[in-house]
Amino acid sequence: MTVKIAALILSSFLILGETAHALDDHASAAYDIFKQLIEINTTDSVGSVSKASEALAQRLLKAGFPAKDILVLGPSERKKNLVVRFHGSGQRRPVLFIGHLDVVEAPRVDWATDPFQLVEKDGYFYGRGTLDMKSSDAIAVATLIRLRNEGFKPHRDIILALTSGEESFKDNGVKWLVEHHRDLIDAEFVINMDGIGVLTDHGRPVTVRVDAAEKLYADFRLMVINPGGTTALPARDNAIYRLSAGLTRLEQYRFPFELNAVTRAYLTQLAEAADGPRRADLLALLADSPDAAALDRVSRDPLDNATLHTVCSATRLEAGHANNALPQIASAMVNCRILPGHSAEEVRKTLLDVFHDPNIQVSYVREFDGQMFDRAPDAVALPAGAPRPDVIGPLKTIARTFWPGALVIAGMSVGESDAVWTASAGMPTFMVSGLAVDRDDVRVHGRDERLRVSSFNQGIEFFYQYLKAIAIEP
Amino acid sequence: MTARFVGLALAAVSSLAGAAASVPENNERLAFDIFKQLIEINTTDSVGSVSQASEALRQRLLKAGFESKDVAVVGPSERKKNLVVRLHGTGLKRPVLILGHLDVVEAPRADWTTDPFELVEKDGYFYGRGTQDLKSGDAIAVASLIRLLQEGFKPDRDVILALTAGQESFKDNGTKWLIEQRRDLIDAEFVLNMDGAGVLADHGRPTTVRVDAAEKLYADFRLTVVKPGGTTALPVSDNAIYHLAQGLARLEHYRFPAELNVVTRAYFSRLAESDDGPKSADLRGLLADPSDSTATVRISRDAINDALLHTICAPTRLEAGHANNALPQMASAMVNCRILPGHSAEEIRTTLVDVLSDSQIEVAYVREFDGRVFARAPDEVAMAVAPLRPDVVRPLERVAAALWPAVPVIPGMSIGESDAVWTAAAGMPTYAVSGLAIDRDDIRSHGRDERLPVASFYKGLEFFYQYIRALTTSP
Repeated sequence: MTVKIAALILSSFLILGETAHALDDHASAAYDIFKQLIEINTTDSVGSVSKASEALAQRLLKAGFPAKDILVLGPSERKKNLVVRFHGSGQRRPVLFIGHLDVVEAPRVDWATDPFQLVEKDGYFYGRGTLDMKSSDAIAVATLIRLRNEGFKPHRDIILALTSGEESFKDNGVKWLVEHHRDLIDAEFVINMDGIGVLTDHGRPVTVRVDAAEKLYADFRLMVINPGGTTALPARDNAIYRLSAGLTRLEQYRFPFELNAVTRAYLTQLAEAADGPRRADLLALLADSPDAAALDRVSRDPLDNATLHTVCSATRLEAGHANNALPQIASAMVNCRILPGHSAEEVRKTLLDVFHDPNIQVSYVREFDGQMFDRAPDAVALPAGAPRPDVIGPLKTIARTFWPGALVIAGMSVGESDAVWTASAGMPTFMVSGLAVDRDDVRVHGRDERLRVSSFNQGIEFFYQYLKAIAIEP
Repeated sequence: MTARFVGLALAAVSSLAGAAASVPENNERLAFDIFKQLIEINTTDSVGSVSQASEALRQRLLKAGFESKDVAVVGPSERKKNLVVRLHGTGLKRPVLILGHLDVVEAPRADWTTDPFELVEKDGYFYGRGTQDLKSGDAIAVASLIRLLQEGFKPDRDVILALTAGQESFKDNGTKWLIEQRRDLIDAEFVLNMDGAGVLADHGRPTTVRVDAAEKLYADFRLTVVKPGGTTALPVSDNAIYHLAQGLARLEHYRFPAELNVVTRAYFSRLAESDDGPKSADLRGLLADPSDSTATVRISRDAINDALLHTICAPTRLEAGHANNALPQMASAMVNCRILPGHSAEEIRTTLVDVLSDSQIEVAYVREFDGRVFARAPDEVAMAVAPLRPDVVRPLERVAAALWPAVPVIPGMSIGESDAVWTAAAGMPTYAVSGLAIDRDDIRSHGRDERLPVASFYKGLEFFYQYIRALTTSP
């Protein structure tokens, strides 16, 4: 089936059999929407999410959705979100699907193609947002239209919210909707489409993930202040040396290994599916006193490492004002991804201990506005919950046909998404996505972001089936 | 005498108005007026004009009686004109060139307590950009030349004064330009550079009068680490910032070898003679064997001694990363080195590569005047040590003995870099001499709230006048 859909897209004007018609229309509608979304710039700097929301609202209206069920609303001119409701029988409380329409900046000079043109080349779609996440946005809208055309009647309302401000942290649409229009988006649970659900290895599916927990994001600013002076008479106490020594200690430090309900289940499943020394290492981590050598080996893989530990990385440096003057200020930015159960303030204190230098001040930088604070928040990352059977069950069934042999596994996201807002509003949130990406080709936020054409087509069909399955329980 | 000068400056008009004012007193007022005028003409590279300062001085010199053919305002561009004035001598000897620069480094108003482009007198100090570096020296030189002319003094050689642009900014350097384009205007047997040396004081008590006959070489290096970057959600251990931090940590612990040359050996010998405490023993240990670590380490605890004995490199800037949540694709540091005579920038670059000991850290040379980056640094070694001429040092010793009794005159090496690099390279032996006394822990050159003790200014004026007279009077 996958191959056939791909063929349809690649040569979409070929004559098709009767049964293929619905698929064909659906796939080409998804493609048209995808292309339109990529070509509407939705960056924070110069783009407009409102324009994308408005374009989607028009399509939904044209497809027959009543105007009252399509809302374009938000806190500012360029940051309006789209909320559309597909009415169900009301037997159960609604499900909310969230995705974001904004994209990170993409300087033209860094890219081989124009990032704001959908370019198809060598079996890939190129463009900013092809992975993160206009592909999923387009698929969701096209799927709702298809279900409406088919006269589908879910047993619960399906709400789709496509929002702004996920990447820029400014005017975050999910946060705004939760705070100002909870009625519009209130749901029993939430499916967050912002993620890569299917990891492949040279095209071969390895895992299908549903994330039931998320790490906490925190930025810290390290700062050393010094009187400075001329380099002709250098004081040996240099702000840059202080900072460098601190960063060197940070490099050597590893946060403790820790498992929670989700990652323990995740590792167990990984171990079951693995063989040889890898299996032994994974089992060793699940033991009461985990083996240090096994931990070292497993932690060499960046994804495993991020799953098992809070991780902090130095991301930026800034110091000095003239080549021939000793620096008066040296500063570094350190970004941490914190395991559930720990607060940013706890990590800030650990950083202070690691630097072990009273001259290095460590302050917390608030993500959405860059404001700095002496102390970080005490709120802990969301505790990991077990995934609902009505979420993971259909995924397992459908995944078997789409990605035979792949391990369907509940995990913890190592990144951060809008799930933080819905989850903290009391709506259990799960990341599910049918987009398959090679684990060494994740170009989210990077240059020449791309998605396999076949992944997109497969994602269309997956989403249609998955949405139907969770909206009609057996 | 100092106290009287201060009083004069504080109440300049009232006490000077009388017809009885002496020549020195009038000259003090003149020097102050010129000093104030220079400070208040912005001569920064960004928005100032050195030409305006040169022109103002030319007017004063013409008014004082210099012939217009002897006062030139010349330069390569509209804002960077230099002043060259000649006081004719008997021609018995070849000319002496006195060198100073009129430009100043930037001074953001927000960083300062007072307006840096107003000469403010407060608590016994003159505050303003250029009070140390180098408008005080410039004003003193112009006032002294005027006084010598008006007294009808006939030196045994022409005294040329060149006050120039582009010393601080490295752009359109006036000394370099004059040598290359108007050597005729400034050709001299030797050069006295006012930008350096001076009288070092300790809580106002002068301790040494310096004459610098050598200079360290200036070089900037850029350290760069390039990596693929990525998201911090999946950090890799190979982070560009950590590579750089490790390298800098190694640099911090590295010390270039201690070395003595003719000038610094003479300097430390004189210091050893004039000190009889435990420091003297250390100094003798150092002179016997500079690699004697215990004596050298103790002597080097003093920042100036440290800089005289070692090539020193200090990191001055950092830059890395492009987003808080992305691993850096590039991390870079600037390292500034002051290199002992006899060594080249390329030699130091090679040493840095060894010290950093990480093939991922690229070390490139950054050319000072235009910031261009090169994979290799120049092979030229620092300025040769100029032989100490008796006709420079003896008059200095005589004048200094009268003004600062019992304070030794010590030949030294400048730990900074000045325009002497150009005159020395042109074959004119160059010595840094200045009569301005500054506390060794109050050197605010290039810094905020730059200041000079009021007393130092007037004593520096008296010194300069007497020294030029002595220097150009044949026995």
